[in-house]
Amino acid sequence: MSISRRIFVKAGGLALVSLGLDPLFLARAAYASYRPLPPSTALSRPVLVCLFQRGAVDGLNMIVPHGDPLYYRERPRIAVPATDVVDLDGYFGLHPRLAALKPLWDSKTLAIVHAIGSPNATRSHFDAQDYMESGTPGVKATPDGWLNRYCQHDREHQDTPFRAVAFGPQLPRILAGTAPALAIDDLQAFGLRAPQPAARDRLTRAFEELYAGSSTGLLSSSSQEAFEAVQTLQRVDPTQYQPAEGADYPRGRLGKAVLEIAQLIKADVGLQVAFADVTGWDTHVNQGGGDGQLATRLAELGQALAAFSRDLGERMRDVVVLTMSEFGRTVRENGNAGTDHGHATAMLVLGGPVRGGRMLGRWPGLDPAQRFEGRDLAVTTDFRDLFAELLARHMGATGLDAIFPGFMPDPARFPGAISA
Amino acid sequence: MKYRVLTCLLATVLVWPIVGAQRAAPLHVVSVALSPRDSAVHALNRLAYGPRPGEADRVAAEGVMHWIDRQLVPRKMDDGALARREHDFRILEYDRGDLAGMYAEVQRERRERKQTANQASDTTVTPREQTARRLAGQFQELAVVRAALSERQLYEVMVDFWTNHFNVYFAKGADRFLTPDYIEHTIRPKAMGKFEDLLIATAESPAMLFYLDNWESVAPGSVPPAAMRVRARPLFGRRPAVFGLPPRDPAEQDSMRQRALQRAPQGINENYARELLELHTLGVDGGYTQQDVIEVARIFTGWSIQRPQQGGNFEFHDWAHDTGEKQVLGIRFEGGRGQDEGVRLLKLLANLPATMHHVSWKLCQRFVNDDPPDGCVDDAVAAWKRSKGDIREVLRAIVSGPDFWAARNVRAKVKTPLEFVVSALRAVGADPDTTARLAQVVARLGEPLYLHVAPDGYPEMEAAWVNSGALLDRMNAGVALAAGKLPGVTVTPDSLLYAMASPDELIAAVDREILGGTMSGNTKQVIKRQLADIRDPQQARALAIGLALGGPEFQRQ
Repeated sequence: MSISRRIFVKAGGLALVSLGLDPLFLARAAYASYRPLPPSTALSRPVLVCLFQRGAVDGLNMIVPHGDPLYYRERPRIAVPATDVVDLDGYFGLHPRLAALKPLWDSKTLAIVHAIGSPNATRSHFDAQDYMESGTPGVKATPDGWLNRYCQHDREHQDTPFRAVAFGPQLPRILAGTAPALAIDDLQAFGLRAPQPAARDRLTRAFEELYAGSSTGLLSSSSQEAFEAVQTLQRVDPTQYQPAEGADYPRGRLGKAVLEIAQLIKADVGLQVAFADVTGWDTHVNQGGGDGQLATRLAELGQALAAFSRDLGERMRDVVVLTMSEFGRTVRENGNAGTDHGHATAMLVLGGPVRGGRMLGRWPGLDPAQRFEGRDLAVTTDFRDLFAELLARHMGATGLDAIFPGFMPDPARFPGAISA
Repeated sequence: MKYRVLTCLLATVLVWPIVGAQRAAPLHVVSVALSPRDSAVHALNRLAYGPRPGEADRVAAEGVMHWIDRQLVPRKMDDGALARREHDFRILEYDRGDLAGMYAEVQRERRERKQTANQASDTTVTPREQTARRLAGQFQELAVVRAALSERQLYEVMVDFWTNHFNVYFAKGADRFLTPDYIEHTIRPKAMGKFEDLLIATAESPAMLFYLDNWESVAPGSVPPAAMRVRARPLFGRRPAVFGLPPRDPAEQDSMRQRALQRAPQGINENYARELLELHTLGVDGGYTQQDVIEVARIFTGWSIQRPQQGGNFEFHDWAHDTGEKQVLGIRFEGGRGQDEGVRLLKLLANLPATMHHVSWKLCQRFVNDDPPDGCVDDAVAAWKRSKGDIREVLRAIVSGPDFWAARNVRAKVKTPLEFVVSALRAVGADPDTTARLAQVVARLGEPLYLHVAPDGYPEMEAAWVNSGALLDRMNAGVALAAGKLPGVTVTPDSLLYAMASPDELIAAVDREILGGTMSGNTKQVIKRQLADIRDPQQARALAIGLALGGPEFQRQ
């Protein structure tokens, strides 16, 4: 988009605000109408897959500091026994139900950043999720998410409706914004339904004309994205998909989402940014140690990531998967054999480009004097440093300060998940 | 006391002329921008779940402000048709105790099956479990049916509003059997009363106490009475309950006691306290601190629930209550007052300026614009102050203000999935059954009812609902409904409009009856082109209605 067009969008947006129209629509429409023709080939694009562990995962039971006796002292009922932990480096280890990820660690495609989180002190799920998705901790007014801002900023790949896809019924905050993004709940059922293909195509065309001519605002841009995507999927035919290498995805939402991400990557439809939610981490009560509630959730996560990695095989050379969660949980277990809202947590980074087999970030320790407000694991890595590193070194983004406004990303602070 | 009487009198005097005058004033405002029929359509779109066939004309003839006045007093409205339909919903015959008992039995059966089954993956469903599932589906469907059929439309809209404001998650453990009772006996009776009463009712509701974990928040070091010890903890869902099994030998009992004690709650849980301040009352910028959250949690220690086999009612546990002094927002709460401390706190919170503003803002967002105008919020807050939080007066202020009727706010909101499905059902005069299939449509569009996991409830912002996938699903649902192919519902299109040979007449009728006269020139042309080669008038009608329901105009309200 040239500067003059950008000014047009800005000025037109301002003019239309007074008429009660949404400037977001304008910007999206501008993207859509100046989009080049569909890609001839989309091989070797870098792909970033983000999984959001909503509800605040207990980083200390996910990536266990089993070398620290304080961990066991603070968690008499819910600590993961040292004998069960899958040791990584003598001090940290994987929760036993994440054992499926150990081969990835050994093959140096899995790195772990511990004590990572937000500079903002909030213990509200909603605020903290909001900040992690907007990429602007402490600033609520940010209208868009950082993944969307990356897409706005880097337009090299905006030639496909599948560039940025959230797998779920709603578009999450992290992908909200002026750049087009799709929300897909079920890849196979995506599109108009009719008994015969001819009737389906006719309905599709009719609705396309209705929305092209009569809709305003987000309805207009979203429908446009929808019809482009329908066209592409007709070529791909997702009903025929078979995972490779006998990859065994877990049943349930996460397994399905991750499988569909793999499917789209292999279909070369231009997927660059994928996002899915993983829920069930808010373990206030009876969270369990080696077994129990949290263990069940971790088993699903581990199996999903392992299956994804196996299914993609060689293609993992272009792919980085990042797990994130709004904050961690209290170091000490609470009165209900659970944990309450805390501060820092751990994030996993895996994929071909990752400098894996290493624990990243500075470990602050569990000593009460080192803790945040005396109770929680302190944050030593600002999550934006990791996000910025992935965008810069894996996705090739420039202009990071526009993606993380007010932050000034600095490679010197990058945790080192990807080779410089 | 004298002072209070005087204030009441004053309030009455102050409110009265406003009540009397509002019938005329907004009509004046309305007449500037909207015709009587347009204002009726607008009111039906925002204060109701959209017009039924002929309803826009009826409301216009009655006078929209008169219609609103009647909606504000739902008790006085006859709702016989809905009441008759409710007889088909067996879920309404089960009280909390019945459902709790059924839930406990299902759990017991499942456990027994696990013990006897050879393989872990036994997926057989017992008849009782089937009944429980069917009832759960009926409970979700009932929300759709009431919204579609009730004459008390504004009341149903408010029930949905408060259900989200005081959200609980139907699929969390005991909330599987506590939520239906919560909607019937906590939310519905108080949806049009005083905010304070509703707030207290939710705080005492077992569903909320369970959802936000307060039921097991106890003062550190407190010990349950000896008789309770062996059963102290494995109550709901997450751990198998111990009742109903054969007696155990003493050694086993001892170790059970040990385990039960280990699992017993040992301290405060801040979850409810935090959401009470952040979501239910003050709002996230309401000026409270982490210390306030802790103090509030201390005040609510002991607010708990009975065991399910005893009915799962509210229970205050003296033994679990923190008897020390507390300070919330700089206000001292003397210790040792037991349950009264919590009630006092709720009454205080219910009428703080931050609460009035936060809840009024949300109401204006619901009724006027995703980005609520300041004037609307100010009017609502003023009415709240005058009426001491009478929800009806706050609503009256919102619909009497200029913002509600301003051209820039008409059709400015996109329907939520529930609003879309229900308004489509109403538009074609459809008759829903008691199976969960319409609730499943709402779920597919992104809003599974009573299943928003986070305590903030479903959002009012269009950005949360408008995305490509959901939009395609709305088109699919519109086409299926118009063709009479949406499962769970009977459509008799003749009651809406007769099949007619002329496409122009058909399109004009669809515009008038379904789109409230908002059909664009483009939409008319597209539908006309689609109708060109269709000879069968019934098919033509179904296609025209389907395209209208799935098209862009019908997504707005």
